[in-house]
Amino acid sequence: MNIPPEDYNKYFEILELGYNAPLSEVRSSYLRLRALYSSDSIVTSAIIYEFPDDSKQAILDQIDEAYAKLREFFKDKEADHGYKERPSVAGSDIEEYLANVTAFSGPALKMIRERLVVELKDIANFTKIRRQYFEDIELERFEALPTEVYLRGYVVEYARYLSLDPARVAGDYMARYRTWKTTRGNRS
Amino acid sequence: MEKNKGCEIWAIGGGKGGTGKSFITSSIGAHLAAKGKRVVLIDADWGGANLHSFFGVNRPQNSLSDFFEKKVPLKSLIMNCGISGLGLIMGNLPSLDSGDIKYAQKIKFFNHVKMLDADYILIDLGAGSHNNTMDTFLLADKMIVVIIPEITSIENMYHFIKNVFFRKLKVVLNSHGLKDSVNDAWKNRGIHGIKTLKELIAYLAGISPHIKDIIDKEMSDFRMHIILNQIRSSRDITVGTSIKSVCLKFLGMHTQYAGYIEYDNCVTSCINKKQQYMLTYPFSHVAKSIGRLSDNLIYVKEVTAATDEYSPGRL
Repeated sequence: MNIPPEDYNKYFEILELGYNAPLSEVRSSYLRLRALYSSDSIVTSAIIYEFPDDSKQAILDQIDEAYAKLREFFKDKEADHGYKERPSVAGSDIEEYLANVTAFSGPALKMIRERLVVELKDIANFTKIRRQYFEDIELERFEALPTEVYLRGYVVEYARYLSLDPARVAGDYMARYRTWKTTRGNRS
Repeated sequence: MEKNKGCEIWAIGGGKGGTGKSFITSSIGAHLAAKGKRVVLIDADWGGANLHSFFGVNRPQNSLSDFFEKKVPLKSLIMNCGISGLGLIMGNLPSLDSGDIKYAQKIKFFNHVKMLDADYILIDLGAGSHNNTMDTFLLADKMIVVIIPEITSIENMYHFIKNVFFRKLKVVLNSHGLKDSVNDAWKNRGIHGIKTLKELIAYLAGISPHIKDIIDKEMSDFRMHIILNQIRSSRDITVGTSIKSVCLKFLGMHTQYAGYIEYDNCVTSCINKKQQYMLTYPFSHVAKSIGRLSDNLIYVKEVTAATDEYSPGRL
């Protein structure tokens, strides 16, 4: 496939990136913009009243399209030139995967995060929560994790960063935590 | 008199009052002076000038009104404000007749400003979208808006950016002999189905390819620099990146997110004690942020959206 890269420039523009941005930046910009235009932040509500009701949806559609196109672009790039930025990322359809997730366990979260090309370091920097906690959350090393109230907060932050539904993720994850806690209580 | 080619004029404005424009102007000035630059601050808050208070000096006798009314040379109005390399020109004293200044007078004022012997000239503007304010803004080399993460401030900023660009369009199209095209389009906006600035621009660009070229050039050259003041959490930092995105998507305007400044009670107490903040707390987060954003303004860099750069210091 020989698509001139210029065709993709407008998609990079929609995601507010330079034309040479790597897939990881495409991903994080997509997440950031999606979060911005799918919520009611002070930044958008200060201007939205002058625009038609569906203008936010129109922007979201554009962002989604740009992201889908760019994922194809990176997939082709990978196929054509043996180019590989990060393992097992491009081409994997995250929405499809998410639909099949029955419960957000630690390993499931890890899988989602890796598919989104997000590093634990990024989440830790952003949330100001120690990286180690997130690692323990993914590996379900419950004994190493702090008490329930704190843990729940960390899981919520983690989910939020990945643009997942925090309530659902925390609900699933904390249920697993409590199961572990009861079995441990029974054993001791 | 020779034009000083090396000097750069920065205008600091923004729709809403109380966001810290004067504090930031005085602090950037003090920072640049400390780096060995020659700086002149001009208080152009035509109605309520008080930049002198940030340096703990008394209200001077002379002000910009002497330049406009008595033709006193601008250079002789520069007063010392206790920091070497930093001069200050006072704005008009708050008087009841500080009305409109003619456009020709503003141009003349700017020509004199450019001849001042300095590396950086910082003009502190008043709040609101008064024509005086917007014209001064447009004549500067760098347009800087100061906002705080509050919906009222953000709303006023959008309003301000739109007004400034609207004003710019009018001035530019006038100079191309297309007088009144903007006004006519706006007056008859109901007929043309124009509701927003973006639609107005699209309409004007559709009149002729010539106008489209002019507008495209103006839009790509038009660049506001945003400073986000009084952030209270690291999450607030993203307000700046979000505003950048909204300006692009809704208004079609490119902006530079120059930097952010943490909220600090010491700022208020310094102002009330008439102490210069940058001299009193040179190692504070706020002082460091001012230094960082000044460099960003000089080199036209910005806070990037990359998450790992969000955390230069804990809040």
